[in-house]
Amino acid sequence: MIPRPHIDWFALAPMNALLAVSAIALLSAVLVPRPWRKGVASAFCALGYTVALGFAVALYVRSAHPHGVVADVFRRDRLTELAGIIVAGSGLLATAISYRERWREDHVGEYYALLAAAGGGMLFFVGANNLMTLFLALEWFSICLYVLCAIDRDRLGGLEAALKYLVIGGFGSAVLLFGSALVYGATGAIDFPGIAAAGRQHDALLLFGLAMIVAGLGFKASAAPFHMWTPDVYEGAPTPVTAFMAAATKTVALVVTLRLLITAFSADAHVWTVALAAIAVCSLVIGNFAALAQRGVKRMLAYSSISHAGFMLIPIAADSALGARALLYYLVPYTAMSLGSFAVVAARERELGVPVTFENMAGFGWERPLLGISMWAFMLGFAGFPLTGGFVGKFYAFAAAYRHGWTWLVIVGVLATLVSLYYYLGLIRAMFMRRSEDLQLAPIGGSPPRDALLQGAVFACLIVTVGSFFAVQPLIDLAKHASSSLPF
Amino acid sequence: MGPGTAWYLSVAGFLFAVGSLGVLIRRNPLIVLLSLEIMLNGANLALITFARHLDSGDGQIFALAVMAVAASEVVVGLGLIVALNRKRVPLDVDRLSSLRG
Repeated sequence: MIPRPHIDWFALAPMNALLAVSAIALLSAVLVPRPWRKGVASAFCALGYTVALGFAVALYVRSAHPHGVVADVFRRDRLTELAGIIVAGSGLLATAISYRERWREDHVGEYYALLAAAGGGMLFFVGANNLMTLFLALEWFSICLYVLCAIDRDRLGGLEAALKYLVIGGFGSAVLLFGSALVYGATGAIDFPGIAAAGRQHDALLLFGLAMIVAGLGFKASAAPFHMWTPDVYEGAPTPVTAFMAAATKTVALVVTLRLLITAFSADAHVWTVALAAIAVCSLVIGNFAALAQRGVKRMLAYSSISHAGFMLIPIAADSALGARALLYYLVPYTAMSLGSFAVVAARERELGVPVTFENMAGFGWERPLLGISMWAFMLGFAGFPLTGGFVGKFYAFAAAYRHGWTWLVIVGVLATLVSLYYYLGLIRAMFMRRSEDLQLAPIGGSPPRDALLQGAVFACLIVTVGSFFAVQPLIDLAKHASSSLPF
Repeated sequence: MGPGTAWYLSVAGFLFAVGSLGVLIRRNPLIVLLSLEIMLNGANLALITFARHLDSGDGQIFALAVMAVAASEVVVGLGLIVALNRKRVPLDVDRLSSLRG
């Protein structure tokens, strides 16, 4: 009788649900007749994300005492589950946004299979408790995303974006891996608590490894100076995939950065807090100034996502429980705003059949009031206006930096916010204050039918964006319970 | 008694450096993928060196898992290159520039 380790299947249920529907969606690409294929595959994908969301909520409620799963490679705690809730929600909304995307539909089964599998990898990633799980889960969802970018083989832009993402993403992963090897060499452990417990003798080796790991995670979070792939990939990928990448990939990369630095490298905090602050300032400056020059809405949103990587690295750099709460709170409205804004871009793209620019957004706010008003709210949220969760998120992030004694970082953040007003408000102006009669539009085959799924998804994002302003206390409590599973 | 840990580490670092230079300066996507593999193999060698040096199995298992991942990553990369080639795009990353702004 071989002794078997005890495995907490409940903790693994969200990923397993997504993997199961991924397999079913992949089989449907072969077994289900073509007319029903899209319906079946997307329904299963949505079902998988719903089940994963349910399990993540149940696990959040029942994980007050954090513990390791499967020989401690994976952590079951409220931080994992809160990030899991955000990822599963993003995946569900991305499934809804994808449904009416105009592309050649001979790979629709594979699309939903990969979308579900990417979510599963992300759920594993956020719970990673050693460097091997971290690397494997990172590659798991990254490879799914590379293929998703190129799912529409007819579009050269998608293929080009996928190849760029693969090369630069692969480069980032290799840097992360080499860093992991150096940390392993310096400490003799690959699990986070072991790394934290090891003595610090080989300082150069360890710090070099730490720097490479932070750089590798920076590639995934698209923080400057590791951001160069972001605008091209966000522009070239199908818009629903971009929405999912912008929301979910950034969430998991930031949550894992937080967990790794706090649990494994708290003894080296004097080094990485400064490094993260530098990366944050770089992202804020490059993201905001480059966004000013953009005419394409997807590229503008890509640079805005780079600048938000900077905003959300500020609370991590503050290295405090307040910072962790600020990050976890901010992620909720941030994912809703990114998903929603890319969904609105997708809607306009489907109407026009051409890439969306500031010029051809003219009059959109009056033509589609729900989408227009939602986009207004998302832009104001990105800029940090009151009545949206973005305001509270930025406020908390700056409060964490101020408490850490970094007033200069707060000043940089506020200046970056002021610069960002120009392009966020510029998009609102383009939507509501330019007359669409001036525009030479060539709609593809008349006005498309109302897309109820996409509008529902955008409405849900609007509710989260605005609701997170009014429901601050419950969300902060959630974030507080989640951050209490980290050793501050 | 073979060469010491430091030698193996130097080779690993050299492989990693060669790979990263290749990714950064070569223009043929096939060679770029090859260079990515060299980077990952450099990291693998470092992992195995440390595993032997520390006499712990973690690094070896890690390296095995990385090999599987590297293979699947390059499969996706080659698939993308084939798809690009079918669209009669020249195999030169400098000329993949329909996305810019």
